[in-house]
Amino acid sequence: MTILTRGAFAWPATTLNYHTGTWRVQRPVHLHGTAPCHGACPSGEDAQAWLAKLEEGSAQAAWQTLVEANPLPAVTGRICHHPCESACNRGQYDSAIAIHHAERWLGDEALQQQWAYPVAAVAADAPRFAVVGAGPAGLSASYHLLRQGYNVTLYDELPVAGGTLRTSLPQYRLPRAVLDAEIERILALGITFQGHHRLGREMSIEELRRDYAGLFIAPGRQVGRAWSVDGVTPRDLHHGLELLQEWIALGTVTAPASVAIIGGGNTAVDLSRIMKRAGVQQVHLITHQALPESGQEVVDVMSAIPREVYQAQEEGVEIHPNRGIRRLILRGERVVGIEMVRMKKLDRGQGRLERVAFSGTETVLHVDQVIPAIGQSLDPAGMERLGATEEGLEVSFWGESGHDGIFAGGDARRDSSGTASAAIGDGRRAALALVRRLQGQMQPEREVRAATVGIEQLNLSYFEPATRPQQAILPVSERGGEAEIEQGLSEEQVQAEARRCFSCGNCFACDNCWTLCPDSAVLKRHEQASGGAHYQFDLDYCKGCGLCANECPCGYIQMEEEM
Amino acid sequence: MLKALEGSQAIAETVALCRPQVVAAYPITPQTHIVENISKLVANGQLHCEFVSVESEFSAASVVLGAAAAGSRTYTATASQGLLLMTEVLYNIAGSRIPVVMTCANRAISAPLSIWNDQQDSMAVRDAGWIQLYCADNQEAVDTTIQAYRIAEQTELPVMVCMDGFTLTHTLEPIDIPDQALVDNYLPPYQFARRLDARQPISIGTLLSPDFYPEARHSHHQALLNAAERIIEADQEWQALSGRSCGGLLTVEGPDSATIGVLTLGSVIGTFREAVLEYPQAAAAKLLKLRSLRPFPIEALQQAVAGLQDLIVVERALSPGGGGIVGPEVRAALSELPNPPRVHNIAVGLGGRDIPLDLYPRLLRLAEAPQPLRFAVFDADCNKLAPEDR
Amino acid sequence: MSTETTISIAELRRKQPRFSAIESGHRACLGCGQALAVRLVTEATGPDIMIANATGCLEIFTTPWPESAWRVPWMHSLFENTGAIASGMEAALKAQGRSTKVLAFGGDGGTFDIGFQALSGMLERDHNVLYVCYDNEAYMNTGVQRSGSTPHAAMTNTSPPGRERMGKRHLKKDVINIVASHHIPYAATASVAYPSDLRKKVRRALAIEGPTFLQIHAPCPLGWGHDGAISISVARMAVESGMFPIIELERGELTGVMPIRKPIPVADYLRAQQRFRHLFADDSRAREELEHLQALADHNIEVYGLQADADDLRDTSGADTVRRGGMRWA
Repeated sequence: MTILTRGAFAWPATTLNYHTGTWRVQRPVHLHGTAPCHGACPSGEDAQAWLAKLEEGSAQAAWQTLVEANPLPAVTGRICHHPCESACNRGQYDSAIAIHHAERWLGDEALQQQWAYPVAAVAADAPRFAVVGAGPAGLSASYHLLRQGYNVTLYDELPVAGGTLRTSLPQYRLPRAVLDAEIERILALGITFQGHHRLGREMSIEELRRDYAGLFIAPGRQVGRAWSVDGVTPRDLHHGLELLQEWIALGTVTAPASVAIIGGGNTAVDLSRIMKRAGVQQVHLITHQALPESGQEVVDVMSAIPREVYQAQEEGVEIHPNRGIRRLILRGERVVGIEMVRMKKLDRGQGRLERVAFSGTETVLHVDQVIPAIGQSLDPAGMERLGATEEGLEVSFWGESGHDGIFAGGDARRDSSGTASAAIGDGRRAALALVRRLQGQMQPEREVRAATVGIEQLNLSYFEPATRPQQAILPVSERGGEAEIEQGLSEEQVQAEARRCFSCGNCFACDNCWTLCPDSAVLKRHEQASGGAHYQFDLDYCKGCGLCANECPCGYIQMEEEM
Repeated sequence: MLKALEGSQAIAETVALCRPQVVAAYPITPQTHIVENISKLVANGQLHCEFVSVESEFSAASVVLGAAAAGSRTYTATASQGLLLMTEVLYNIAGSRIPVVMTCANRAISAPLSIWNDQQDSMAVRDAGWIQLYCADNQEAVDTTIQAYRIAEQTELPVMVCMDGFTLTHTLEPIDIPDQALVDNYLPPYQFARRLDARQPISIGTLLSPDFYPEARHSHHQALLNAAERIIEADQEWQALSGRSCGGLLTVEGPDSATIGVLTLGSVIGTFREAVLEYPQAAAAKLLKLRSLRPFPIEALQQAVAGLQDLIVVERALSPGGGGIVGPEVRAALSELPNPPRVHNIAVGLGGRDIPLDLYPRLLRLAEAPQPLRFAVFDADCNKLAPEDR
Repeated sequence: MSTETTISIAELRRKQPRFSAIESGHRACLGCGQALAVRLVTEATGPDIMIANATGCLEIFTTPWPESAWRVPWMHSLFENTGAIASGMEAALKAQGRSTKVLAFGGDGGTFDIGFQALSGMLERDHNVLYVCYDNEAYMNTGVQRSGSTPHAAMTNTSPPGRERMGKRHLKKDVINIVASHHIPYAATASVAYPSDLRKKVRRALAIEGPTFLQIHAPCPLGWGHDGAISISVARMAVESGMFPIIELERGELTGVMPIRKPIPVADYLRAQQRFRHLFADDSRAREELEHLQALADHNIEVYGLQADADDLRDTSGADTVRRGGMRWA
């Protein structure tokens, strides 16, 4: 029996006896959403996670988080087309976080500080896998297999590892020292490297399949795609890829007075810049696609990385976008010029796009050499059994070839986007799948991720606009040699970028929920919280008003219907 | 110490003796001299307290409420319009069971406006849940004020000390102001069990549901009834120390054989005492001095009217449309008796109308009427009214 | 604090690194701005306080006998006497030599209207009390009736729009300037949308010996007509539009403002609340009222100099910026 107090006074804090949580029709939950940078990264890096560690003050911890997905940050931090930045929500607020430069800085710092990969030594008697192709896909697969505790033998037809990274990337984009250091460190984890081994020559798929627990094939695309105009191929045709590789390997290449490079991808652009460095006075780049940032749809824009295109123009390459070649102008069998015509891809309805040339816009360009760089084909030798054609290998999300125990990835995939980061991702996914297969587990349909956090889920009131730092770039006058053109950002700049990150979908312990709950129903488990686990909803009292979810800057709190 | 003092001045000095820590003051005739004198005492360092000159009576009562809740002994005084203005607070103080002491310098209520003495003001708030004690003269006012603190702090009920405005407040009389030591002896320092304090942070003034509200009212009512004993004891204890009594709940004086009784509250009793001497040929009557209106001393009253055939209740207020206020309460109390006296109820001296001595013999003649007088404003002259307003 | 997983939630509650005079289990509506404001105020005051509370939502939802949400000595008396009760408490504590600070809590009704006199008296007498007015712009507890604080043209149940009316006819009483005209040491406005600013102001007031006044804009989801989840957003828009200026006045002089980095149109603020929905009808009267309200906001911005000329860490965009790990500026 409750006894009435004199004057009906009440004792302190006795409302705790009344659980206002019974009022709820919805409850707040913590939901670690996928940050768009994470969702967009072809290699599967959680950039938000490693930026957070960077902001918390530990660069090494940040790098260790990064290399849980991608073991080559010093490389990708230089050559990646950074779709993470295109997806970055901050891009819709002021400017995207300079994730690419931050990654490069971390990669370089790791090399300098000689940080160790978070990979334990593999038992000598652990099962062994075979990886064919020591490019980014193969290196990644080997690394991830070792991370999971398995042995790896890595084969490549060249004497050294690196693949396309070594053969087809100019040093002014990717210095040899950096590449060597990254590769060396990966191999030093305990990977057995066998150079001078080509599939179909030194070993066969059947042998590998028999001798190893599983097989990952990533031979890349080594053959320049065939090119002709009305079936005519000049006698002195050199493929762009070959020329590029020649220059990278030897440092020189034959330099006529003028060249026309056909193509809009990275190889074409790189080649155009090489030609300039080799002394070609007039370098023309002809592509039916549009310049990046020209405002045209993605499908019809040059696939080369925009900053590379821009730097090429700075260096004097003349780009002719939205043009096709109508005729070759020959003297005998030698090319002396090309007839270009303006063309565009038009939407013919029902999603059909057709390339249309506009008569009356023909112009003639006099050049000494025509170099096609319109893409690469797979050399299917040794892989016929897998159904490989020039167009590549048909594989699943995880790289399954359809033949038990044989996975493939990288440029050799039919649906490859042709980037190193995608290749690294392929290698990681295949490694995970290979181990699952070995352990008798089912492959999930796709990599399961929480829904990507859109900008509408953030509360932008709580952020301050801030400018994105610009990296230093070698002025055009100083370019020409192999000196790296892009200088990256300093440590302070990278730290500042980490602070600019919205932390989409992941709590950064701003204390908003704890500060703003009118019912004191959010409790902190730590005096100084550092993450979502440090906040707890007191469901005895939470009324489900949704204030915390609305005021959570990073979209980490969502409201769920009360059952 | 015997001094010739104006009633207000005596009250001011008495209040100072009781050592209040907080005094709230808003001026209204005829209480002004009380607060003015207190402020002089403060200015001269004779009274050390927080003297809060509030901006209305509502705030005066609120200030003492807040201060008392926070554990300080307090004082304020008011009258008439001021008392009505603070009515809401009066109920609040009493319902919260917080002890405060207040002087009401009884004055008539507007409209029509009047600054002169009657008891309509304190009568209007008799249901607020306060103890109400009425003083016959300034000495009683002094002694009752001191007793009020003791009673309030023991019962945890607020006490209103009613003294007739002008008649008492502005009258010079020889008054015995007790020594500080005597008062200190009689009044221990204020220790409020439910004082607001961080060590016991209670919440006062909560919302009480129908499940408990009747119990709260029952308890309050009982507390007031039980306070009757405390009032008697406090007076007896004071008498032991000072030699003076204020008459507990009520007193009866006059010849045992008298069959007529005249009951009144406040300073009118003094007029009647004089009248008894002035008109020795008038019928013998007992004078009943009612001191405590709340709690209403039903048993004491029933005993006091033993042997009376007529009781004339003379009051200084009315309930328009009903009649008297004290009269009906007396009738109700006496109706329990097997043979109650006839009760005649009149109101006199409203709005400060002088009560002449010769009223007394005229009052006594009411006993001769065949029917008891239900109620009349006894001294109203209808010739002063237009026919339709009589 | 530690990370033991064995700690009970009740124990965790007791160990929170902040003080709040108001506990959970109170009966405030979902998303109540006033409950939040009280939490923030008492967080800044700490526990050595005594509260005098006016009649209104706050006292009702915190003290349903036998329960009380309060952790400090607290008294509710009546609607109109909070200033006087607080004065009495302060006088008593002073006489007793106790250092506990007295706070007075009142809604806009109990402060602008019925309680105004007692407030004015308290200020004039220089009592050492911090008076906090929780301004939700109407008599909410009794069912949303207009008060002196209700903004012009707002709909309440005693100022409904109709054929002959467009909501409240009169302007919002400029209480902060009236209070400041008492030349008290410190008077300020604040909003629950800017908790650090609010707490800073409370601490500032607490450090002053003498009467201080804080008017906190506190959205009422029920009375204003919006979801409780957006109470903070709505409060922020009130500030960013200039409808509720955040200012500080000392001894009657303007000594501080929160500049508005980029003023938003008043219509954005109004549109978020049902109590202004009649202003978005296709009606020339509605259009006129919208203009009037915009003019009032523009006037505030001009009179108080609220337009920021450069980005400022403490302007309406910067004052609530959050950082990893908490680390608020107040």
